[in-house]
Amino acid sequence: MSIGPPGALTGRRVLELADEKGAYCGKLLADLGADVIKLERPGGDRSRRTPPRIRTGSGPEESLSFLYMNTSKRGVTLDLQREEGRALFEKLASGADLVVETLAPGTLEGLGLGYQSLRQSNARLVVTSITGFGQTGPHRDFLSSDLVASAQGGAMHVTGEEEDPPVRLAGGQAHIAASSVAAVSSLAALLASSRRGEGQHVDISVQEVVASVSHICGVGKWLDDGIVPKRQGTGLFASVPSGAYPCRDGSVYLMVNRPAHWKALAEWVHEVTGTQEILDAMFEGPSSNRLPYREFLDLFILDLMSRLSVEEAYREGQRRHIAVTPVQTAATVAADPHLAARGFFQEVDHPTSGRLTYPGAPYRHSETPWRIYRPAPAVGQHNREVYCDELGISDATLRALGTGGVV
Amino acid sequence: MPEADRSTNEPAQALAGLRVLEFSSAMAGPWIGRFLAWCGAEVIRVESRSRPDVVRLYVPPRNPELGTQPQLSPWFTDWNAGKQFVTLDLRQPLAVDIAKRLVARSDIVVENYSAGVMEKLGLGYQELERVNPDLIMLSSSGYGGTGPCSRYVTWGPNIEALSGMSRLSGFPSRDCTLTQYAYPDAISALHGMVAVLAALDHRSRGGGGQSIDLSQYEATVAGIGHVMMEHFALGQEPARLGNRSLHAAPHGCYPCRGEDRWCAVCVETDAQWQSFCSVLDRPEWQREPRFASLAARLDHAEELDREIAECTRDRDDDELMNALQEAGIAAGGVQNVEDLARHDAHLAARGFFEQVEHLVKGVVTATGVPLGLTGTPGRSGRAGAALGQDNDYVFETLLDMSGEEIECAVEAGAIESDGEF
Repeated sequence: MSIGPPGALTGRRVLELADEKGAYCGKLLADLGADVIKLERPGGDRSRRTPPRIRTGSGPEESLSFLYMNTSKRGVTLDLQREEGRALFEKLASGADLVVETLAPGTLEGLGLGYQSLRQSNARLVVTSITGFGQTGPHRDFLSSDLVASAQGGAMHVTGEEEDPPVRLAGGQAHIAASSVAAVSSLAALLASSRRGEGQHVDISVQEVVASVSHICGVGKWLDDGIVPKRQGTGLFASVPSGAYPCRDGSVYLMVNRPAHWKALAEWVHEVTGTQEILDAMFEGPSSNRLPYREFLDLFILDLMSRLSVEEAYREGQRRHIAVTPVQTAATVAADPHLAARGFFQEVDHPTSGRLTYPGAPYRHSETPWRIYRPAPAVGQHNREVYCDELGISDATLRALGTGGVV
Repeated sequence: MPEADRSTNEPAQALAGLRVLEFSSAMAGPWIGRFLAWCGAEVIRVESRSRPDVVRLYVPPRNPELGTQPQLSPWFTDWNAGKQFVTLDLRQPLAVDIAKRLVARSDIVVENYSAGVMEKLGLGYQELERVNPDLIMLSSSGYGGTGPCSRYVTWGPNIEALSGMSRLSGFPSRDCTLTQYAYPDAISALHGMVAVLAALDHRSRGGGGQSIDLSQYEATVAGIGHVMMEHFALGQEPARLGNRSLHAAPHGCYPCRGEDRWCAVCVETDAQWQSFCSVLDRPEWQREPRFASLAARLDHAEELDREIAECTRDRDDDELMNALQEAGIAAGGVQNVEDLARHDAHLAARGFFEQVEHLVKGVVTATGVPLGLTGTPGRSGRAGAALGQDNDYVFETLLDMSGEEIECAVEAGAIESDGEF
C-alpha cells in the first residue's frame, strides 16, 4: 500500500488492543504511516456494533464510529484466553515498537503479557495503557466510561447552562483526548526508547486527561480567585464580552480578549446601532475592566447581531479583525468553502460499506503527508498476511487455530 | 519535589537534549511547549514587550489595586512552566537575525501567531529551513495556513462553535453548548504535539526536517469525525444526545444531595440494570416491563431518568458512586475543582497535582501533566518568569554573544531590556 511518499511513522509497528478509549490513538498513529495491527477477539470487537450505523447495515462493518476510528489499520483476530493466542501475541509483541491497550488494570499481567513480561524478549518495547483511572491508586479498579470520566475529571461541571445538569461533549471527548495524550506519550516514549535502548510502561488515566484539558477552570485559577467555576452558558468566564449571539438566521460566537478587539467591536456597534454609550472609555482595556458590565454590554451586542445575518456578522466581524465565527451544524461544516479549498474531507472506499466521506487530516506535514492508507479492516482481514506471511505460521496451523476458535 | 530528592540518580527524561523555540501566545501554542518542557526538552520562548501575550495582562482578582501583573497568572504557569524567556522586538532586522541564530541551534519551532505573521517577520519556514535544514516547524492557527479564511481571528471558544462541537453537544433544548475551558485549545495543542513528535521520530530514523500546518478548526473536527460522518452517511444532522447514549440506558447525570451535586451513571447490560435497581432500592423495577431490556429502557429514557432522579436526590454523590462501583456499574460524582484538588483521594494518591517552583510566589499548585511516562518521569520546571528573564543565559551562554554585541542589540532595541513591564 505504499504509493507516494512515506508517512512520518512509516516503519513503526504498533499493536492495538483497544476499545473506544484507545481506538483514536491507533488512528492517529496509523494515518501517519505506522503499521497499526488491531487485535480483536474472534468474531470482532464489540465496537463494531456501536450505533449509529450506515443505513443499510447490521453487520460488523457498518458502525460509523468503527469505520472512522480504525482507518489505515490492519486487523487480526486473537483469543488471549487461549494459550495459543497468548503465544501469538508474544510473538507479535517481540517484533513491535509499541502496544496500545485499554484492558482493565492487571488484565495483561494476569495473562502473563504485562510490560515486565513482554520486555524480556523486546527491551525497546513501549506499552501504553489507557484506563479510566490509571494503573495505581484506590480507584484503579473502578469502572469508567466517557461520561464517568467527564464527570470525575471536572469537565462536565463547567459545561453548559447554569440551570441545566452538567453535560458532556459530543463524540466521547474524554476518550478522544485520552487517545491523543496516549499518542503524545507513546511517541515521546518511542523517541526515548530509540535513544536509550529501553522502552517503558505508559500509564494514562482518562480522569487525569479530562482534568488536564479542562485546567483553565482548574486548581491554579481557584487558588488565585477563590471562586469554584461552574456552568455559565456560552460566555467564557474570563472574557468580556464572549458568547453565542443570535443573528437573524442563526447564531455567531463572538469573543473579545484584547483591548484592540474591544475598540473595534465598540466602533462596530456604534456605527450600526448609533449608540454612544458603548464608546465610553471606562469599558476599554483588558476584559477584567468589563467584567462588572457583562450583561449591560451584551444588550448592545445582542442589538447589533439581531440586525445581521450570520454571514454578514461573520464576514464583517472578521473584516474588522474581531473574533466572530458562525455556530455551525454538521451540514454547514461539511459545506464550508474554506475546508473545501484545503481539501479537508476525503472519500474512502470500503469493500462492504461503500464510498463515504471522512473528515481528513488534523495536521499537514510538508514531507510526510498524512493520509488514510486503507479503510477500517474487516474481522480478521489480515490474519493470513500477518500470521502466515509475516510470523511464518503455516496455512495448516492457521486453519487449525481458526477451527479451534483462537483466531 | 524538593531539590535534594532529585539531585542524584535523576532518571533520564524522555525528550532530554532537545531544543524547542516558541513564538507563541495564549494557550494553543504555549501548551505544546509546556508538555515538551515537562518531558525534558529545553524550551525557549520569544516574547516582545511591544505586543505582550494576553496572559501577561493579568490583574490579580483579589488584589486589583496591584494592576497588571505579568508573572502572576495561574494560566501563565499552566502554559509556560519550565521554559526560558527572552525578549526580542522582531520588527527589528537585528532581532530577526538573532532569532535565526536561535533557530540554527534548535530542533523544533512552534508558533501560533496569526497565519502569515511569521512570513511577514522574515521568519517563515522557507527562511528558517535555509538556516536549519533539519528544522521541524509547527504552525498552529485557527483556520490553518492556507484557504480563504486563513487570516481570520479566533480564540478557543470560536473554534468550539465553528467546528460544530458546540452545536452537536448538549441537551436538545439548547441552541448550542460550550465548555468554560476552551476545549479546542487543548485538543488542537495535543494534536500539535503528536504532529511534532511524529516528525521528530521520522527525523530520528533518517528523515529530514519539515513544516507542519495545523488548523485548530480541522483538528477539532477530526476529534468529532465519527459524529460528522452521520451527516455524510445518513444525510441528517446528528442527534444531540446530551448525556444519553444510543447503546446504554440509564446513561446520565443524576441529582444528589446538596447544592449542584450530581452522579454520572452508565448501565450497559441487563445484569447491571438488575444490580442498579438493588443499589437504588427499587426492587420492583427489576420486573418492570418498561425497563426490562435495553431497547425498552431506551424507549422510555425520559421517564427512566425522571424516576431515577427521584431516588438519587437524597444520596451523597460519593456514596452513590462507591455503592454503584461496588455493584459493578460505571459511576462517578460530577467533581468541581475543589473536589478534585481537596477531596479526591485517588488523584492525591497518584500525586496528580504538582507543586511548582514560582519566581514570585515561591511555590504554586498546578494541574498535573497526564503523560504517565513511568520510565522517564517528567516534571514541571520553574514558573513565573518575567519578560526577558533568561536573556543572559540565552544570548550570552547559548548564543555566545559578546557583551558588546548584546549592548548594541539592546541599544538598537532588538533585544528589549526594559519597558512597560
